[in-house]
Amino acid sequence: MGKKYDVIVIGGGHNGLTAATALAKKGKKVLVLEKNKTLGGLASYREFHPDYFSNGLLQDTSCVRKQIVDDLQLEKYGLNIRSERPSVTLLSKNGKAIRLSGDVKATASEISGFSQSDGKAYVEYSNFIKNISPFLTALLNEVPPDLMNFGTWELLALGKLGWKLKGLGKKTMNEFLKVAPMCVADFLNEHFETDFLKAGICAPAIYGSFTGPWSSYTTLNLLMHECTSRVRIEGGPKALIDALEKAAKNHGVTVETNNAVQRIQLDKNGSVHGVVDSNEDVHASAMVLSTCTPQDTFLKFLSPNEIDYPLEHDITHYRSRGTTAKLNIAVKGNIRSRHTNQLFEYGRTGNSFDEIEKAFDAVKYGRYSDEPILDIHIPGSATPSGGQVISVLVHFGPYELREGWNESSRSGLEKTIMNTLEGYLDFSDCTIVHKELLTPVDIESSYGITNGHIYHGEHAVDQIITRPIPKCARYDTPVKGLFIGGSGSHPGGGITCAPGYLSAQRILKF
Amino acid sequence: MSSKYDAIIVGGGHNGLICAAYLAKAGKKVLVLEKRYVLGGAAVSEELYPGFTFSVASYVVSLFRPHIIRELNLAKHGYEVIPMDCSLTPLPNGDSLARWGDAHKSRREISRFSQKDAEIYPEFSKVMTHMGKLAKAVIDHPAPDINSMKPGEIANMLRLGKAFKDLGPDLLHLNIKLVTMSALDFLDRWFESDVLKAPMSVSGIIGTFQGVRSPGTAYVLLHHYMGQLDGSFRSWGLSKGGTGGISIACANAATSFGAEIKTNAPVDKVLLKNGKASGVVLENGDEYYSKLIISNLDPNQTYLNLVGEEHLDSDVVKEVKRFKFRGSSGKVNLALDRAPEFACRPGIGDHLRGDIAIAPGTEYLEKAFDQAKYGEWSTRPYINAVIPSLTDPTVAPPGKHILSCFVQYAPYNIKEGAENWPKYRETFGDTVVDTMAEYIPGLKDMIIYRQVLTPWDLEQQMGLTEGNIFQGELSLEQLLFQRPLSGFAKYETSIESLYMCGSGTHPGGGIMGASGELCAKLILQSKSI
Amino acid sequence: MPIKSPFHPRTAALCESMNYKEWAGYYAVSSYLVHHDMEYFAFRNASGLLDITPLFKYSVKGKDAARFLSRIMVRDISKLKIGRVTYCCWCTADGKVVDDGTVMRRGEYDFFVTSADPCFSWFSRFQRGYDVELKDISEEVAGLALQGPTSRDILKQITDAPLDQLKYFGTTEALVADFIIHISRTGYTGDLGYELWVDHEQALKLWDLIMVEGSAYGIRPAGLDALDVTRVEAGLILKDVDYYNALHAFIDDRKSSPYEIALGWAVNLDRDPFNGQRALRSEKEEGSKWAITGLVLDWDEIEGLYARYGLPPEVPGMAWRKSIPLYVNKAKEKQIGYATSGTWSPILKKNIALATIEEKYNKVGSEVELEFTVEHVRHTVKATISKTQFYNPERKRSNPGLKKDKP
Repeated sequence: MGKKYDVIVIGGGHNGLTAATALAKKGKKVLVLEKNKTLGGLASYREFHPDYFSNGLLQDTSCVRKQIVDDLQLEKYGLNIRSERPSVTLLSKNGKAIRLSGDVKATASEISGFSQSDGKAYVEYSNFIKNISPFLTALLNEVPPDLMNFGTWELLALGKLGWKLKGLGKKTMNEFLKVAPMCVADFLNEHFETDFLKAGICAPAIYGSFTGPWSSYTTLNLLMHECTSRVRIEGGPKALIDALEKAAKNHGVTVETNNAVQRIQLDKNGSVHGVVDSNEDVHASAMVLSTCTPQDTFLKFLSPNEIDYPLEHDITHYRSRGTTAKLNIAVKGNIRSRHTNQLFEYGRTGNSFDEIEKAFDAVKYGRYSDEPILDIHIPGSATPSGGQVISVLVHFGPYELREGWNESSRSGLEKTIMNTLEGYLDFSDCTIVHKELLTPVDIESSYGITNGHIYHGEHAVDQIITRPIPKCARYDTPVKGLFIGGSGSHPGGGITCAPGYLSAQRILKF
Repeated sequence: MSSKYDAIIVGGGHNGLICAAYLAKAGKKVLVLEKRYVLGGAAVSEELYPGFTFSVASYVVSLFRPHIIRELNLAKHGYEVIPMDCSLTPLPNGDSLARWGDAHKSRREISRFSQKDAEIYPEFSKVMTHMGKLAKAVIDHPAPDINSMKPGEIANMLRLGKAFKDLGPDLLHLNIKLVTMSALDFLDRWFESDVLKAPMSVSGIIGTFQGVRSPGTAYVLLHHYMGQLDGSFRSWGLSKGGTGGISIACANAATSFGAEIKTNAPVDKVLLKNGKASGVVLENGDEYYSKLIISNLDPNQTYLNLVGEEHLDSDVVKEVKRFKFRGSSGKVNLALDRAPEFACRPGIGDHLRGDIAIAPGTEYLEKAFDQAKYGEWSTRPYINAVIPSLTDPTVAPPGKHILSCFVQYAPYNIKEGAENWPKYRETFGDTVVDTMAEYIPGLKDMIIYRQVLTPWDLEQQMGLTEGNIFQGELSLEQLLFQRPLSGFAKYETSIESLYMCGSGTHPGGGIMGASGELCAKLILQSKSI
Repeated sequence: MPIKSPFHPRTAALCESMNYKEWAGYYAVSSYLVHHDMEYFAFRNASGLLDITPLFKYSVKGKDAARFLSRIMVRDISKLKIGRVTYCCWCTADGKVVDDGTVMRRGEYDFFVTSADPCFSWFSRFQRGYDVELKDISEEVAGLALQGPTSRDILKQITDAPLDQLKYFGTTEALVADFIIHISRTGYTGDLGYELWVDHEQALKLWDLIMVEGSAYGIRPAGLDALDVTRVEAGLILKDVDYYNALHAFIDDRKSSPYEIALGWAVNLDRDPFNGQRALRSEKEEGSKWAITGLVLDWDEIEGLYARYGLPPEVPGMAWRKSIPLYVNKAKEKQIGYATSGTWSPILKKNIALATIEEKYNKVGSEVELEFTVEHVRHTVKATISKTQFYNPERKRSNPGLKKDKP
């Protein structure tokens, strides 16, 4: 049987589509198999109630890499991208709000309204981010160096990174080395005094990391986020996926939706032979790129005796404790912000480090937070029938809820979220048509991500340096012909397109 | 004006005394000035109640550098450490876990909770011992200076780089995990039994303001495995005559080489001449002059009290002020009228001659930490207890015993304010005794004397800022070339002729003696005196 | 503190020498008398009865038991017939030996495995995806080795099981008095012999029956010292002496592949993936670095060395286990390996040893030099490389009344 495809991509999410497009652009014959009926994975546009659509489980597209968009010429396919990240409104309990925009000066002056010194500090903080950016973006936007072998080339690659670090200048480098291992609370306390400002800035460092702001190394997460959150994509996830789909198809990628890969086939020597799809059809290919979670890739798609024990051990101990829930709310009428005159597009709650820390404490003991931290997205565009959608990422609700996810715990969580949300949004002028709560367990089942972890695995230092595990940190795996390139690969989760793109670059070298 | 010295060491803790001994051994004229009536700093023995000698603060010895014992001939000067064979973890349900030096005995014990864990235990030890080699390469040498391009520094970096490389890729990556993961997550890679993981994970949090789930706590697990590399089978032990015995041995060694030691001699300030340290002035006004001043105190005390902000660069002051202490532990020392028996294992046996960890579960430990995060002491704390009198009968009258309880968490900054600790001291002590009494029936009736030390007391009595027993948190950003300050991590300070040799310098923490030794050796190497 | 096996009340009463050692956390008799030679001769001429309870024992049951064990072991266990036993080893993913032991197939879905090290954790690591129940029965099942020419006759006195038909490496259930035991025709002496597996509760009864019936057949309780002589004669390797468990070996150089410890014959390469397959396949192609081989020391040279000091030749009083360098020539120009255990063979009247040697020097019949210390001075003696099996009596494999098996 002839091999029809050069590469089969498992998963048609943002990373799968990016990889497929990048590969096809270089002349590869590519097949994408997506188990759901819509493309996009965590960025997919889903009708959660008749006429009401949620624009992606993940809602932040500010970290999509501009250079990938350029390289794939996504603008040609209708993507409208701007080099300024969208504003995020930080909401405090006592009715105050600060808009963090891409414009440092404007933001600083807004902050000065609360605290002169914080306004000044924000400029310094932004400068620091700018200064360390060349190093961190080099780290995050390239195939990581090989840390499994130490030949001359590998040492050179490491040396190059070291040089980039030194290139920041002695002062910046020392400051970076000092703060990176710190807990984000200590780091931000050194700069700012306004509690809800600090909490709002720190929140992205905490998402999906199974830590609270008082945990060491969270500053590194924050710095990585700050250095890569750079762009605004009009239309959000849907626009991105639409453009990617068009680009992929235009480059000749075959895309099959509603077709779940059952397993990956290996030949007698243990090399990839192809995949078996949901109809038990075999698609032959010497290379398979899986953008599913590392756990599914190795533990579901391969037989137990096809991976050796150290690999299985590493994969089963790859930490991906899901802690995020999602609430989609369909409303009719006017929603008002209690804090701002205008309704915000992106809003973040969390009044202080302690409040976030306490919210996190709950998941350690298998409970959801009494007062969750909310990442609110209100796209603003009306549905065909004139309704609105509020999309809320909720931190923290554990995958392994001790009392179990059932009707009562679900409604308990929903109530808790609504209570919190109503402190920030005024629903009195509108009707709630429908609410859809996705617990981590629901996220796992609807999106096929292990433990419902929105980033395909925790953002923890060891899982950042060599993501997901050392043996697979450069997209190729111990199984010959099998590559991984989802959020569980470098540089990690969120809608960035980077793992897909970089894994494609790596495949092209084979 | 007194005679002129080559070096004056401010503070007679074990590091200061070791530093003094090395300098004196090299023929230098050395004076040690100790504020208290007794030597040892935190490694001190005191007869607080007639007949009972307490290791007031630090109570077990683990990583004391064996080459220091050899080079200073400390055995001759009275150094004697008796190894501990057992680690006992009593459980609230009346069961307990005891880990012994006898591998098969430990295997059978652990098997009661998880057979897989019991069998994987030696594999874990093997891996950790390998990584201990790396840690040894780190603690036995001065920290590398990443800013320097000097050949010596580059050689130092390459030496460390080689130690890393020699681990091979698998262990190298495990080392990354070890440095960055939480103790509990790291142990989860091997073990399933909470009963086992709890007492293992606590070794990652001792003295830190971290919980067993806090990232960055795993590497301290290494301490248990490094002893083997030092040539001793069991690395944990009790010093004869209390931990002060070690300090006395160091002091004896120092004086045997000609060093002068004065107690009851609190130093008020370091004297500066043209910005250079030239002597010290005591609180009573006495002045002593010397070519070098070496502070055994922590960075905060050294820079801000001994020198004073007014003599320092604002950048240095900023860095000193951001150096974190956050003491998290207290100590309750009890004199008992008989040997305490544990409900889980009645009788007085070898199971009591090791360390006893009140760590009945990882959630218990994490909850204890949660309270500390919000400014409360743990109502059910982690306690590491030893009964030194069972091993060393010289510390208590015949038939009487000492129960020494190291307690975590007792945050320095309680929400009522640190200065209010004295008000709550005895309530805190009651918490500890109540907790212990859950495992030792009748404990309360055995107590003849009780000493409670809060972090506030550790600060007041021993001069440990915020009561941090390691003279500063052992978090990554305060280790190696950043301990205590980036650019001043080679025992020198921003003040010419002023050096530091305490736990606040590399490698820091515990009764290791490495800081004092490395400081002295670097000074001698530089030929500055 | 070691624990006592269920036979301890009997073995302790008989152990005149008080000579014990620790074996896997148990008290184990080294020799019942002060010197072990009567026990050795019991193994070779009558029967010795040895407590082997300290071995680790596992029950593996379930639909996928054979597939599961095949995944773990270097042998294809799915080919093992019911009622048969195989000796083999199991490896890490890099093809390094973890441990060795026997696997007995008692039923289609029922296996019994013995090992020297605790292996429950290791086996259980591979359970995912297999319908199998793995149970550690080490502390439920006691073991006795009845080894020697009269062992069959003794057993026949206590059971009606078809022992005449039970072939070498066969296993059967047997009714003894009022209880069931398992008999496997296996052992560590390289002689006719059986290993008996019995529940703890029946252990003493079994011991007593055997001792009573055995008295007419020259039975003797035997300890580990005698066993050690027989196992070297039989060329059977010992973990932690002749090789190390790869999981516990501190450095990679201490790990061995099956090919390197003379267990290459047990490896079935061409089948479904199993632990170490890839590594073993390439080792098979590229050749191994080391080999375990037998050495026969030159007696005349030994005698000559002693004579130099005016001494009569001495033979070691018991089997030894220490690392002794092996050189390419008398000038010690190159060390090519090391002997790991050896003994004076009372039956062969030879000084024999097991050695790890660089594969390229491993040629039967060729001569090497082994360090040999006489009167505090390190000399060398000539040693001839031989097969590891020094002693292999026909009775080990033969069955009366059955057609003779080929050796």
